Amino acid sequence: MERESNNALSDVLAQKGISRRNFLKFCTAMTGALALPSVYTPRIVKALEEAPKRTPVVWLEFQDCAGCSESFLRASRPTAGEVILDVLSVDYHETIMAASGHLAEEAKKMTTDAGGHLVIVEGAIPLAEDGLHCCIGGRTAIDILEEATAKAAAVIAVGSCATFGGVPKASPNPTNAVGVMELVKNVPVLNLSGCPVNVVNLTATVVHFLTFGALPAMDDLGRPLFAHGALIHDNCERRGHFDKGEFVTAWGDEGHRNGWCLYQMGCKGPIAYHNCPTVRWNDGLNWPVGGGHGCIACSEPDFWDRSVYEPVAIQEVAPPASFPPAQAEPEAMSSGSAATVGAVAGLVVGAVGAAAVVGRGGSEDQAEDQAES
Amino acid sequence: MAKIAIDPITRIEGHLRIEVEVDGGQVTDAWASSTMFRGIETILKGRDPRGAWLMTQRI
Ligand code: SF4
Repeated sequence: MERESNNALSDVLAQKGISRRNFLKFCTAMTGALALPSVYTPRIVKALEEAPKRTPVVWLEFQDCAGCSESFLRASRPTAGEVILDVLSVDYHETIMAASGHLAEEAKKMTTDAGGHLVIVEGAIPLAEDGLHCCIGGRTAIDILEEATAKAAAVIAVGSCATFGGVPKASPNPTNAVGVMELVKNVPVLNLSGCPVNVVNLTATVVHFLTFGALPAMDDLGRPLFAHGALIHDNCERRGHFDKGEFVTAWGDEGHRNGWCLYQMGCKGPIAYHNCPTVRWNDGLNWPVGGGHGCIACSEPDFWDRSVYEPVAIQEVAPPASFPPAQAEPEAMSSGSAATVGAVAGLVVGAVGAAAVVGRGGSEDQAEDQAES
Repeated sequence: MAKIAIDPITRIEGHLRIEVEVDGGQVTDAWASSTMFRGIETILKGRDPRGAWLMTQRI
């Protein structure tokens, strides 16, 4: 197959032994992850192949644990990391870059002075004591963030700390930590929350940016709808047990051994908007609820201040008028049995969830494409 | 006698600054500073201990 020699991406991919077939599979998976119809795949292929030059990226770490960087480096599909690292030029990333000290800082300054770059931020920014709780190269995080984003094309905040403050902001927030959107106002900011960020969602966001020249559609918290548009609870494989009122009530009990619903063990799936049940983790291997622990709602603001093992109040239990009653005699609910109450709530919430899925065209493509990849 | 500061030290997890004092090619003194603080001990005080592991694994 003839290819133009100025096509940087295909050259690099060929060098690394990534076949055209695997590259196309990657693009198909990204179309699915973005909840786009499959007709968009050729457009994504074209955009990645024809990316005029490698988009510079500055990855800033502030009050973080490097968990999001770990998550990013764990990418192993054919391979999200490789494809993306080849269309991007990561000019600064403390945990992985070779240079250190003033050489590292100079590399960053060259990129941020030139402008048009992407800034990825991991970690919260402390405001207390004029920001001295996080300093790099002798400058505060506040200062570094301001300089790095001034001429940026877009900012992607990754993980719970950079988006909503995360661990450092947990009560009593000793360092007065905040997320990126509290400080960056002049450049579009996208929030990819989750503790840590899921590399599939980060990759898909970058692919969207390169294909359409803009950040994807967001919810009112600045999170992309393709990743945060649906409740965990509505796509959970244990949902059938919730609807039937089959709950784990103690670790290791019969229900736990049989994969029943973790709601009574404190699962926060009913309040968390994230695509974990479909995208999963560790290259699609599993996810926390699949592993037998409840969801902790790490995609939601201030989740650290919720009690991990207390059941959460279920919202939106009112069914739409067009559905038949969930139970013929609602008085039966007053039996006081937690399981019965849970089951009724489950049936009603289930009906609402089903309606939402029917109304969302892209979701089924997404599930199929994920299954294929 | 010269003083050299390397900040940030890269390829590690966390933020680190190293300063060394060099005299005639010999390091005569050195200082390491961890330049980021979150107060996780303060945050953990008074919390439900059953959830503490989730937070400490994020250190
Ligand atoms: S409560 Fe949790 S485990 Fe149960 S169905 Fe919802 S998300 Fe799944």
